[in-house]
Amino acid sequence: MAGEISVSVGKNKEAEKTTVIRMRFARSGPPVWLAHLDLMRTFERSVRRAALPIAYTRGFNPRPQLTFALPLGVGLATEDDYVDLTMLEPIDPQSAVDQLNLFLPSGLTVLTGGVVSAKDPSLMSLIQAAEYLLEGQGISAAAKRIAGLPQGQPWLVEKNQKGNMVTVDIRPLLMDMYDESLDRLFIQVKAGSKSNLRPKLFLDALVRLGGLNPLAAADTAITRTKLLIADGSGGLKSPLPRSGAFRQR
Amino acid sequence: MSTVNVPRHVLQSVIKPARYVGGEWGSVHKDLSADDQIRIRFAFCFPDTYEIGMSNLALQILYDLLNKRQDTWCERCFAPWIDMAEQMRILGLPLYSLESYTPLREFDFVGFTLQYELSYTNVLSMLDLGGIPLLSADRKSDDPLVIAGGPVTYNIEPMADFFDLVIIGEGEEVLPELLDLYDANRSLVSRNRREFLRLAARIEGVYVPAFYHVSYHPDGTVAAIRPNEPGLPARIRKRIIRDLDRVGFPLAGIVPSTEIVHDRIFLELFRGCPRGCRFCQAGMIYRPVREKSTDRLVDQALAIERATGYDELGLLSLSTSDYSELAELTDRLLCHLTPRQTSLSLPSLRLDSFSLELMEKASKTRKSGLTFAPEAGTQRLRDVINKNITEDDLLTAMRLAFLGGWKGAKLYFMLGLPTETMDDVEGIADLTRKIEALYNELPKSRRPRRLEMTVSTALFVPKPFTPFQWAAQATPQQLDERIRRLRTLLRSRSVKYQWHDTDTSRLEAILARGDRRLGPVILAAWQRGARFDAWQEHFQMRIWIEALQAAGLDPDFYTVRERSEDEIFPWSHIDIGVSQSYLLSEYRRAQLAQTTPQCRDACSFCGAESFEGGICIGR
Ligand code: SF4
Repeated sequence: MAGEISVSVGKNKEAEKTTVIRMRFARSGPPVWLAHLDLMRTFERSVRRAALPIAYTRGFNPRPQLTFALPLGVGLATEDDYVDLTMLEPIDPQSAVDQLNLFLPSGLTVLTGGVVSAKDPSLMSLIQAAEYLLEGQGISAAAKRIAGLPQGQPWLVEKNQKGNMVTVDIRPLLMDMYDESLDRLFIQVKAGSKSNLRPKLFLDALVRLGGLNPLAAADTAITRTKLLIADGSGGLKSPLPRSGAFRQR
Repeated sequence: MSTVNVPRHVLQSVIKPARYVGGEWGSVHKDLSADDQIRIRFAFCFPDTYEIGMSNLALQILYDLLNKRQDTWCERCFAPWIDMAEQMRILGLPLYSLESYTPLREFDFVGFTLQYELSYTNVLSMLDLGGIPLLSADRKSDDPLVIAGGPVTYNIEPMADFFDLVIIGEGEEVLPELLDLYDANRSLVSRNRREFLRLAARIEGVYVPAFYHVSYHPDGTVAAIRPNEPGLPARIRKRIIRDLDRVGFPLAGIVPSTEIVHDRIFLELFRGCPRGCRFCQAGMIYRPVREKSTDRLVDQALAIERATGYDELGLLSLSTSDYSELAELTDRLLCHLTPRQTSLSLPSLRLDSFSLELMEKASKTRKSGLTFAPEAGTQRLRDVINKNITEDDLLTAMRLAFLGGWKGAKLYFMLGLPTETMDDVEGIADLTRKIEALYNELPKSRRPRRLEMTVSTALFVPKPFTPFQWAAQATPQQLDERIRRLRTLLRSRSVKYQWHDTDTSRLEAILARGDRRLGPVILAAWQRGARFDAWQEHFQMRIWIEALQAAGLDPDFYTVRERSEDEIFPWSHIDIGVSQSYLLSEYRRAQLAQTTPQCRDACSFCGAESFEGGICIGR
């Protein structure tokens, strides 16, 4: 019946037997324009094409058990996103990665994979911060302008919250920002289920408070360059070590 | 060769930008630099949105067929939605293909598949955005050849001015020959387009509208249709595939990344329909019935399911229950698909105990909706249209459905059928009440807790190549009155009533049986802003009425006028195999409410036997 669909791992008995593979993936090119649901569907079908031993959710409409770290907005590229795949049998993460890559549409690439404990909290709940690269004309100048606003002055922008326009202060959500070169701006922001700053809202702030041309804002290319989780000692780390040894169960 | 670069802010601002970027799994990308191997660029155009076009099996079949050719690259193009079209106009971006982002005007062929009349204005939008002259007569040597195929091309006359050539019949047969001819006469195409079309018109199933002259009587009816070039046939005969097992079928196909209308694999069981419902154009133009063998279907289904990753497979045909080995086929499919978590969807089933059991098996967990199409409310009218369903069939099926746990069904009817009276309309309500009574009589323990019925009425549109091609459409006033009557009669908590808009059906009727004089009307309507006419939110009948008036044409001439038996139809020069005399005898039988047996019970020698294929032979 309703409510039976189990998506989080570690809650049913089967979890004892299953293996969770965490994969780091990137997207660029046409798939950038997929909405989150489309991206999920595309991964599900790719996993089925790749014939990976994926577990299925229960309930009316069984689906491959995939959980994504943090939805990516339409139009955003990424170099560092994560998806957890629950497998029915142990499988070598690298061969799963290689196999899946053969069946993903071009523009979607799995970069690395590792086994994580099925008992871990869900990937989504672990996410703390994200880093984005914004590339567009006038970005650097606008960023400089808002950075120069007096300390303590809120950066107010309008945001659509469940159909209502509300005004929010995004300043506390920005953790860091720096120019790598002219009009290549990196921002590190709070991300995840507790507090989350979407980069498009940050661009709105650049338009409103930093004098960025609205058309230039709409033409700005946005790439998620890092997703970060707590490292247990007050710092942040990647959900998967970039290379080398992965944490084994 | 140039490519179109759509700025990010455009894609950021339009709804569903995934429609415009391509890159799906299974889309075909060819290397243009490889030694001139690709000599033919073909843009397959669907004049509606991406989500609708990608749900069309013809697109997948022909895309696969054309791309299997070494010398051809077939790409796709859909009608951009209003928001995107506007942005493209503002920025001067030409309409482009989804594979290589090449502007439409740079293709050798721009081929439209026409599935319904109300997509005509979108054809003009796409040509215009693609930078191609709208009128065939205005196109120059370096313009693409603009061609069309699909069910409505059997009467393409209203759109005759806009196409260089039209394919009558199944594209799988004709296209390869046309492309071979093109490749062999490439220099001729650029030197003398008309001469090339002359050669093309010799291919059976190719119709070049410009080579046929139509004259009219003073009353507006057609006087004669004659070829104006030597050596052309007086009638263009449709082409069909005789043996469907021998034709290619996409074993991979394009898998859209974004959700489309029919988001599943299609397995085509057979073409044609043996039933002979008198209102149904598909039932006549696709004759004779040609089945695929069960072995081949199972092989194809498994291959496609693996290659696409889809988790749903839908059987496709005009009437699934008429597939001769349906039980064996579905058993074998379920046996393979169920362990792979793939479901089977079964549209167009006749409602009987076998079908209900099958549906139960096919979807173990969920009760999918039941649909039932009695089409008319009384036995008399069902006999008129030759729809072989009785009230008993319906009630028996509903009883089984309730006992099996279904809460109800959706019933499809048509209003405005020839000879229909208010009694027939009220018959729809009576039938619905009988189903309610049936439900109420069942013990509470044996029926679902609630009854949920839906009654849906479409409006009858007389179509060419059907026994009702002579019939008048009911007037808008009559139709509105019948809808109102049903709205009053069907007021019940357990019945939901849905009805179609009269204006849309009226325009459809004008275009379906239209002649060439409608070409300027379509152009004028498009110039006045008609777009996406199949979409309620965009359809404006006022524009069309004005365009008709400006051309001095009366809509009633096309809609509510019954044709005389000897009238020459605008589509008389198209030969679908089914003979005019058969259609006429069917029309006469209809008026006497006499039924005609379906092909499998007794052949009526409708003329389709002349194709020497399918169920007409070897019985
Ligand atoms: S010739 Fe006979 S069997 Fe063939 S389509 Fe016509 S009626 Fe049916």
